[in-house]
Amino acid sequence: MKTFRGGFHVPDNKALTAEASVELMPVVTDYYVSLAQHIGKPAQPVVNVGDEVVEGQLIAQASSFVSANIHSPVCGEVVEIVKRKNAQGGVADCVHIRSNGKQDKFTLPPLTDPTPQQIVERIAEAGIVGMGGAGFPTAVKLQPKDAVDTLIINAAECEPYLNCDNRLMIERTREFLAGVRLIARAINVTNVYIGIEANKPEAYAKLLEQDGVIPDTKDALANRQDNDIVVVLLKKKYPQGAEKTLIKACVNREVPVGGLPAAVGCIVDNVGTAYAVWDAVVNGNTLHKRLMTVSGRGIKTPKNIEVAVGTLLSAIVELCGGLDDNAVKLVSGGPMMGFSLMDLDVCTTKTDSGFLALTDKEASTVLPTPCINCGRCASVCPMRLMPMYIDFYTTVGDTENAVKYGALNCFECGTCAYVCPAKRPIVQSVRLTKQKAKEKK
Amino acid sequence: MANYVYSSSPHIKSPRTTRRIMIDVCIALLPACLAGCILYGTANVAFPQYGWLSFMHLAICCISSVASEWIFLLCCKKPFKQILRDFDFTSLVTGLLIGMNLYPTSKWYVGVLASVFAVVVVKMLFGGTGKNIVNPAIAGRIFAFIAFGAAFGGSMYYVNMASGASQAFPSPVTGGEVMAGATPLQALFNAKYTNTLTNVDLFLGTGVPGTIGETCKLALIAGGIYLVVRGVLNFRWPLVYIATTGVVSVLIALIGGATFGEAVKVFLPSILSGGLILGAIFMATDYVTTPNTKLGNYIYFVLLGVLTAVLRKAVKGEAVSFVILLGNLLVPLFDLAIRRKPFGYVKPERKPRPKKVKGDRTVSDEKVIAKEGE
Repeated sequence: MKTFRGGFHVPDNKALTAEASVELMPVVTDYYVSLAQHIGKPAQPVVNVGDEVVEGQLIAQASSFVSANIHSPVCGEVVEIVKRKNAQGGVADCVHIRSNGKQDKFTLPPLTDPTPQQIVERIAEAGIVGMGGAGFPTAVKLQPKDAVDTLIINAAECEPYLNCDNRLMIERTREFLAGVRLIARAINVTNVYIGIEANKPEAYAKLLEQDGVIPDTKDALANRQDNDIVVVLLKKKYPQGAEKTLIKACVNREVPVGGLPAAVGCIVDNVGTAYAVWDAVVNGNTLHKRLMTVSGRGIKTPKNIEVAVGTLLSAIVELCGGLDDNAVKLVSGGPMMGFSLMDLDVCTTKTDSGFLALTDKEASTVLPTPCINCGRCASVCPMRLMPMYIDFYTTVGDTENAVKYGALNCFECGTCAYVCPAKRPIVQSVRLTKQKAKEKK
Repeated sequence: MANYVYSSSPHIKSPRTTRRIMIDVCIALLPACLAGCILYGTANVAFPQYGWLSFMHLAICCISSVASEWIFLLCCKKPFKQILRDFDFTSLVTGLLIGMNLYPTSKWYVGVLASVFAVVVVKMLFGGTGKNIVNPAIAGRIFAFIAFGAAFGGSMYYVNMASGASQAFPSPVTGGEVMAGATPLQALFNAKYTNTLTNVDLFLGTGVPGTIGETCKLALIAGGIYLVVRGVLNFRWPLVYIATTGVVSVLIALIGGATFGEAVKVFLPSILSGGLILGAIFMATDYVTTPNTKLGNYIYFVLLGVLTAVLRKAVKGEAVSFVILLGNLLVPLFDLAIRRKPFGYVKPERKPRPKKVKGDRTVSDEKVIAKEGE
């Protein structure tokens, strides 16, 4: 089975929601749609307080090249535009929409047999961003400066607990594959891989049932047709779904330090993104909904749900039966790279793949102790850095040396901090050093 | 409103903690301690008290190690509750190891002073757990060896062995007669002593003189396997160390003029005698005092192996602890010299050398000249 060097088998806890079919979240009263749901500049609102909007209607426009459109998740009235804190702990402008119960929906004209240019334009129009978590505008990603010959779909979903990509591949297999083909057409490549972790056998089998999808075996590859999609089964190991490790595992190319995947001729897109592309091109739907896993042992009934962007977490938790009393930590996203939350008064965005309520047993609340130099962090680091030195130099305030040991190459997967027996807050150190290095420049 | 824990990612962490690792090491040391007590208690009918003395030494060392750590922290004005909460069992490991490095004939205060030296001077004064430069137990052993001489017991034994007498240490061989070639190690290097012990004896520790913890290789290896299974120890490093020592010992014998057949016979005794296996599994592999890279570790343990074999030959006695001490001191250099290449590392392009112009002068020379001319 293919994989990369380093990494660690983190217990995945996916069984909590692996079998749960996707439920539709019913309409609630209030939606707070953030204008900064993506990397780049926040979108510019095009509606005013008091305007009536319908589901799918444009409410904020991309304000620069790296930015994305935002659409209304519901039919209703714009009540106000307020500053609210987001899951990452920052503050962003949000459009507060109060639903009025109408069923109208705005869609773009469906495209049949679109040209690459048309697909990219449609992706931009529908406000599609990378739905794995980073939220990079997909239309920008699909117009790389370097020549690209390979498309890799990230179906690893290596974060523990999360199942939204898994369920999407199981329940909407055809649509997902059609979306993959549309992205491949948009960037004009025929070499398409889907990298999937071995802990999703149901989704893997489902994908292989479809026409034009072949497994990553010698026999199958020998008879490969021009438009066949290769499904690569990857070893269950965290962080298998990180862009660089995924490329390494699927096509054995190493993205150079500080480079983008396009530097080695690859483009990586998430499962959710591929589905959103299909939905936008074929149905003309703008991106204002996404799949989300609500899990953890601190949630009464863990579920996979399709939520409208802008729904408050408190409403989602209510749908899932509420929080258990023993929940000690709330996390937006996955447990390895997600963000800790103070409370449930947070609106969801296009990039939220999950919400977790962790109990004392699941979440680590042990205080850090001195480093014992065991070297586990270095042996699991997928970027082959030496995290113990980054942590050490950051702690003593030596940013220069922390950078020398590769703090800026770190993508904060958290494997080092996971395995650390001294429970050193290594990722926090890396973030601090990145911040300080930025300030210095 | 409930208060939730708020922190940086990752939000889940492995159940392994420093304390758990150290408890595992303590558990792994127990078979060897037990075997040492039993072997000394039963080997010599004339001295049955040796078993209890061994046990006493282990207990004294453990208590004085832990106590000296706590007293040190109390002197630093750390509340006792916090000391108990943060207690990570490293000092217990140190205490056990020092006890295992004593002889039943050692004086009781040797263990106390060695433990206090190891914990307070070697560990705490350098900053506590993880900050020590050399392994505390090794430093404690060497401190006792050098400082106490006769009171250490074994040191007399070793010194006397080199000069040919062994009266200071009654042989634990059944029957109570004094054995001339007491350690097989010396028998290896000195024709004067005949080795009466078989490899099986060496492996089980029956009738083998030595420190309390080092004689029963079976128990030590069992402890090592436990650590490997628990994921605490990487089996490679002790293996590399032990194998290198054996191979280099064979090579030394070959250079010394032995035939190949004779030289190969040196292999097993050389790895089964003395403190090599104890040192290789439990002392040299201390996390704090080993390099942080794979390559560094390979070089480090091969170096330890070579040094051990060579020094053993040179001093005609045990050298493991001194070799580990020396190795510990070199570790920072390994970590300075060997750095991992990150994922996607691109070799920086070499700057083209300054072009030579006008005879031997380079461009930079020209600049200097121009500056001076200003």
